[in-house]
Amino acid sequence: MMSKLANYLQGAVRIRVSGMMPEKLINLCVTQHISLWGITKHNDDLLVWMKLGDFFTIREMVRKSRTRITIVRRYGFPFTAKRLKRRKVLLIGPLIFFLALNILSSYVWFVDVMGLKNLPDSRIKEIAFQQGLKPGALKNDINTKQIENEILITLPEVAWIGVNFVGTRAVIEIVEKTVPKQEDKSPANLIAAKDGVITEIIVLAGQTMLKKGDTVKKGDLLIQGIAPEAPEATVKPPEAPVPEQPIRAKGIVKARVWYESYGETELATAVHEPTGRQQLGVVLKIGSNEFVVKKPDLTQFALYEQEAIHKKLPLWRNSGLIVESSIDVYHELDTSWLEITLEQARDAARTKALDQLQRLIPQTAHILSRNVEVIKTTEPNLVRVKVTIEAEEDIVQSVMISQ
Amino acid sequence: MQSRKRGRLQRLAGLLEIPQDIVMDLPRITMLGNKQLLIENHKGIIEYTPSMIRIKLNQGELVIGGTDLTLGNLQIEQILVEGTVGELKYDV
Repeated sequence: MMSKLANYLQGAVRIRVSGMMPEKLINLCVTQHISLWGITKHNDDLLVWMKLGDFFTIREMVRKSRTRITIVRRYGFPFTAKRLKRRKVLLIGPLIFFLALNILSSYVWFVDVMGLKNLPDSRIKEIAFQQGLKPGALKNDINTKQIENEILITLPEVAWIGVNFVGTRAVIEIVEKTVPKQEDKSPANLIAAKDGVITEIIVLAGQTMLKKGDTVKKGDLLIQGIAPEAPEATVKPPEAPVPEQPIRAKGIVKARVWYESYGETELATAVHEPTGRQQLGVVLKIGSNEFVVKKPDLTQFALYEQEAIHKKLPLWRNSGLIVESSIDVYHELDTSWLEITLEQARDAARTKALDQLQRLIPQTAHILSRNVEVIKTTEPNLVRVKVTIEAEEDIVQSVMISQ
Repeated sequence: MQSRKRGRLQRLAGLLEIPQDIVMDLPRITMLGNKQLLIENHKGIIEYTPSMIRIKLNQGELVIGGTDLTLGNLQIEQILVEGTVGELKYDV
């Protein structure tokens, strides 16, 4: 059996044998050990596949058998090669493509910095730039180990760094050290941020005059930033009063705080909907002159909405003379009243009031009670609701002691 | 004379249990269903059309009837007929 690959490499031709006795040529070929395949008859001619090498040897036999042959199809590498030789650009194209791909991919095109939290990414890039890691640098010239070390040395905030290439992209991965926050040590008093009744008071640093159950107003001093008197100091005779050393007061003062808010809802609301009827007003503007092309007749519409459409020629065509048209579309509106029940109105008003309060009450606050009451109003169309919330929360606020 | 020699050879082949096609120079015809027909030891083709193929043999000829007949592989010692073989006639 003929192997397909061998046929492709050697090349094969399909020839058309015409004449009185095409079979005679076939028999002659067979006796000459020429292998033929895929023989079919088309009208009176025979179509035969044969190897390209054999094709050059059958000239004598064709003459002997008084037939004529023509090549119908060519198959295989010799023909492909010949065609490629004629079209050299077809070969050069892919060559250039792969060459360009290879050259362009050997450069760094982008530098990305990942994993930054506090450090500015420009500083990392600046150091990398100085070390030669920049867009346009050859990948082979870049010593990633050296860049990693350089960044680690110059930036003490960096805990770990990795430089690697993903295609044409250089990625600098950085893990920052978590530095404990600098505590503010300047002396300060604690004052009340809100009005309330104190329920719990814990002093960590400083002194307080207050006790549980006291009422405080917003801005009242809660814990004073003064060092507590040392017990041995009292034993000593008070010869010279030591000036009190201001410190930063610390502590927790929990207090009951009341919040209240109002919400209103109308029982019936007007809804405007377009009826579908509309009027057009067209004005044409040429230069500074205005021409009213169509005037709208608005007398029929009780209520309407205006929609303006301005049409302008593009600037390049409109450079000399400004030509502009403005079309006003007037949509007629129909008013209908949307009515809701008293319960729905009350619920809506309550949600409004609660939403307002939610913004005021901090997350850490502990809500003790919630009270909703409907307030009578003189207007029949209005439902007003008052919401009161009692919450327990820490009300301290630090204020610097001015010296 | 020819036939007497042949008869004697045939008897000898039978006696020695040698396959007869080797001794007698007979064609060996193998059929794969009605799809393929392989003829070994032929003497060339006489006529070929898609509906009929005549193949010259050592003695007489083989007429193959069918539809869409093609000569799949043609070599000096064998012919492979492909297509749908309908009938086979052995003319001596």
